Amino acid sequence: MIQLFRVSKVYPPNFPALTDLHLQIEKGECVFLSGPSGAGKTTLLKLLFRAEEVTEGQIIVNGRNITRMNGAGLARLRQEIGLVFQDFKLLPYMTALENVALAAQVIGLSVRESRSKAFHLLRELGLKDKHGSRPPSLSGGEQQRVAIARALVNDPVLVLADEPTGNLDPDMADETIRLFLKIQEQGTTILIATHDTRLLRKFNRRVVMLQRGCLVGDSKHGDAGAGS
Amino acid sequence: MRLSQAHFVIQRVLRSLRELIWTHVLTAGTMAMTLFVFGGFLLLQENLTGLLKGWSSQLQIFAYLEEGLGDSELEFVQRQVRSYPEVEGVRYVSKDEAWESFKTDLGAQSGVLEGLDREILPSSLEITVKKSYRQRASVADLAGRLKEVKGIREVEYPEAWMEKLSLLLLGVQWTKWIFGGFLFMASLLIVGSTVKLAIMARRDEIEIMQLVGATDRMIKAPFVIEGMIQGLLGASFSLLLLWLLFLFLSMRLPPSLGILIPGDQLRFLDLWQVSFLLLLGWLLGAVGSFFSLRRFLGA
Repeated sequence: MIQLFRVSKVYPPNFPALTDLHLQIEKGECVFLSGPSGAGKTTLLKLLFRAEEVTEGQIIVNGRNITRMNGAGLARLRQEIGLVFQDFKLLPYMTALENVALAAQVIGLSVRESRSKAFHLLRELGLKDKHGSRPPSLSGGEQQRVAIARALVNDPVLVLADEPTGNLDPDMADETIRLFLKIQEQGTTILIATHDTRLLRKFNRRVVMLQRGCLVGDSKHGDAGAGS
Repeated sequence: MRLSQAHFVIQRVLRSLRELIWTHVLTAGTMAMTLFVFGGFLLLQENLTGLLKGWSSQLQIFAYLEEGLGDSELEFVQRQVRSYPEVEGVRYVSKDEAWESFKTDLGAQSGVLEGLDREILPSSLEITVKKSYRQRASVADLAGRLKEVKGIREVEYPEAWMEKLSLLLLGVQWTKWIFGGFLFMASLLIVGSTVKLAIMARRDEIEIMQLVGATDRMIKAPFVIEGMIQGLLGASFSLLLLWLLFLFLSMRLPPSLGILIPGDQLRFLDLWQVSFLLLLGWLLGAVGSFFSLRRFLGA
């Protein structure tokens, strides 16, 4: 699903965020991307949905080289990827249902279809009674579930989550990760960036460890440091 | 773009019009002022052209004849004048006819002529110029040749007025484009600022749309449509103002000007010019939005 070949990212004037990264993630895997703040987790995710361009190297996502992608190709790529952020990125003046349906509408689903799909997902995520609420009136966990519903509404093949539990209490964080694992069971590839080692220990999935922009461990290869 | 996406775009346009109504009204108002000034010049040009055409259609050259010409000499002069290619027709006005005509023109004040010799006014030829030669240069050239004809003493035609009016018309035409051009640029900047405000107000929504895979066209289309609506509204409002101004001036035209510009000959912009102003407004809005989007959202 994801292949990185000698990927480097340097921010101007000369700040290396990622250096010579090799990584392969199979379809249907759930991988934790971990490391301390400033390790390059967010940069790597941004490269995967092309919010940033690589300085060197190649990235293949779902069989397509996205390194120099733009315009319509970029839009298509993002329609195949579900994104979840620490700060949820929900629109406060829209209801939970409208927030989720927005993502479906922009790719061409009718208002009715989008709303129906959004409602179905919110119900599955336990927000049946909250679909008419606006984000400011929802708890952090509820807002994150709305964001996850929005990420899933277009049936993505890949979900990228950047510190999705960063603003949640431990119970809510566990609940959110369980939700991601449930999504993974349906065949979706999940990549979760987190620096919460408690979650890594608890959920025992593949962990890719970054430090100062370099890959320093991958539990798939039994590297020390990853998953500990 | 699919129908459902078009529906989504229209929804966003309507929401923006609702939420940023005063910003849109202000922009449309500014565009209306720009187009009003431009349309004003267009209206002035239209009426001056009409006036000039009216005068040209009545253009006659008066050739005053020397005293004591015999019938054969008069015949010779007329034949000579008719031989010029520019001449459409020649009418002989005898001293007597000139006297009567002058008297009629003076109307109630014709009494001042009492005691004067009926033969005081010279006989003349009223020469009508063919349409295709009714330019200042051609008329001046013909007048020059007429002066050389034996038997003609003096030649007169409304040269000064024609020249002044032509210059005024040229001035209006140039001012329209120069002044209009400046105002057009100013309006583009104002439309650009409105789009910038709208982008700022919807920054989060735009970011989310980009993240969930909305195409560039989908994101930018509402802003361009808003610009077009502002432009069309501005142009419609400017036309309304121009119409009111036209009505006001038509009714309040000073009677002394009526000799030069008969009230019933005043004309409003024709359908083509109205369409041109609407198109200009539409273009102003679309181009302003487009360039602003390129600047703030990238190509």
